[in-house]
Amino acid sequence: MTEPKQPIIQIRNASKRFRNVLALNNVNLDIHAGQVVVIIGPSGSGKSTLLRCINRLEVLDEGDIWVDGMQLDHSATNINRIREEVGMVFQQFNLFPNLTVLQNVMLAQQIVRKRSKDAAERTARGLLEKVGIPEKADVFPPKLSGGQQQRVAIARALAMNPKIMLFDEPTSALDPEMIKEVLDVMLDLAKEGITMVVVTHEMGFARAAANRIIFMDQGEKLEDTTPEGLFESPESQRLQQFLSKILSH
Amino acid sequence: MSISSQDPSSPRQFIDVRKFTTQIVRHRSWFVSFIVLDILVVMAITSDPILIETWNYIVPGIAVTIQIAIVSFILATIVGLVTALGRISSNSLIYNSSTLYVELFRGLPLLVIILIFSFVITPALIDFVTTIPFLDDLLQHLVGIPEDRIATTLLRTRDIEETTRIIFAFALTYGAFMSEVFRAGIESIGRGQMEAARSLGMTYTQAMRYVILPQAVRNVLPAMANNFVLLLKDTSLASVVAVPEISHLTRQYSSNRFRYPQGLLILSFIYANLTIIMSMGVYWLESRLKTDKRED
Ligand SMILES: Nc1ncnc2c1ncn2[C@@H]1O[C@H](COP(=O)(O)OP(=O)(O)O)[C@@H](O)[C@H]1O
Ligand SMILES: [Mg+2]
Repeated sequence: MTEPKQPIIQIRNASKRFRNVLALNNVNLDIHAGQVVVIIGPSGSGKSTLLRCINRLEVLDEGDIWVDGMQLDHSATNINRIREEVGMVFQQFNLFPNLTVLQNVMLAQQIVRKRSKDAAERTARGLLEKVGIPEKADVFPPKLSGGQQQRVAIARALAMNPKIMLFDEPTSALDPEMIKEVLDVMLDLAKEGITMVVVTHEMGFARAAANRIIFMDQGEKLEDTTPEGLFESPESQRLQQFLSKILSH
Repeated sequence: MSISSQDPSSPRQFIDVRKFTTQIVRHRSWFVSFIVLDILVVMAITSDPILIETWNYIVPGIAVTIQIAIVSFILATIVGLVTALGRISSNSLIYNSSTLYVELFRGLPLLVIILIFSFVITPALIDFVTTIPFLDDLLQHLVGIPEDRIATTLLRTRDIEETTRIIFAFALTYGAFMSEVFRAGIESIGRGQMEAARSLGMTYTQAMRYVILPQAVRNVLPAMANNFVLLLKDTSLASVVAVPEISHLTRQYSSNRFRYPQGLLILSFIYANLTIIMSMGVYWLESRLKTDKRED
């Protein structure tokens, strides 16, 4: 069904309006398997909305999205299948506070992927090892630092073996000293070849890991360039203004 | 809380008798007084043959009162949970019918609802069922009830107990109250929880069942317990349709023997003990949930 060269995410003429705000304005974007795409842009420019449309937490008003060859439509089976392929990491972590770290990583494996308890636990422990906090398996999330919580959230998403990982400002709610531990985990993932779409203003991460950088403003995709291209020849004036703002502090 | 001037690492703070006594006097005097009063009443009852007779007459009703309260509460919890889910549904038919139910049952006095269930709805239901012509055949062939027993089945004899009738009234009325409690509980859980669950591929139902409701119910446990206390007191309304719970027995006894002071003393004694013990339970639950949160 999926031809090898077909983009794993295809977005065509996507538009989304919230009352009188045009959150997405005719966005076109193709992302190929294995790419790491960083999205930057001022607050309110539609970055979160774009990510949330990809796993259908929001519904487009106009346009189409294909994920791994499946077009997003209104049927529930379709939505659930897409979400199984696409993992998401939120700015506020959104761990389940009533479950332990281990249970957080196991729950969806058991009830969505229908894995046995043993298999789910093995996967979960392996992933906690991978994100560097195996010793916190039996702790409840509110007792962890922000950086630890975000790493658990990454493990929880990875446990579903998604083909695509979406990150919505994963380090924006963190104290500065914890940003690195989360970015390191993300850098490892990028090296493993998983497709990643990351909204972040961490330019260090963008330089080290991104194949492409998308600049959005007022719901529009204004630039689609490489990390080198971004700093050497920012084309639009709005991007120049934006860069001078984020690099100055 | 008062600010302690002591060094927090000093072991003396654990055996600070003065502070402990102050705590008890300030916050628990009411309870100590209640216990003292309780003991005085018990002594009065045991030393007075008339009070003993009153007590013996009323006491069988305690089981009925508690039975009505517990069964109604369990049903009300189920009804309330389902209705709360209906009230947050995006399906407008479900939303509107559950809202109509809630508004209706909250809008009518419980006494009126009890009368309606006892004298209108249940008889109408029995009439309806007994007019189904093939009911006898159905009972015989499908359920296998022998012919001679059909004449005495509940519906045939119109013998649905008063207790059962009013349990429906309580369950539906408190179901309406509890649905608001559960709805507030569900709405207190941030949107991010549902989004995280959905982004992991869970269906709406799975997300509710495994992620949202466990947190929501935990948050509203004290409110649920308060509703149980209210329900227990409201069971006294069942006396108007002659259900043999404590209020009804008290009225019967007091008016027959003209012993209102004695009857009402015993009745108040029983209610106060039932509800205050439960209130203590609610306090304990609240403080436990609070310390749990602080540990988090
Ligand atoms: N659920 C919503 N309801 C109303 N307006 C929204 C909603 N989500 C986003 N918006 C609006 O859409 C615009 C884009 O938001 P968002 O995608 O969150 O931007 P970004 O992530 O780039 O900061 C903003 O103006 C925001 O106020
Ligand atoms: Mg955002």
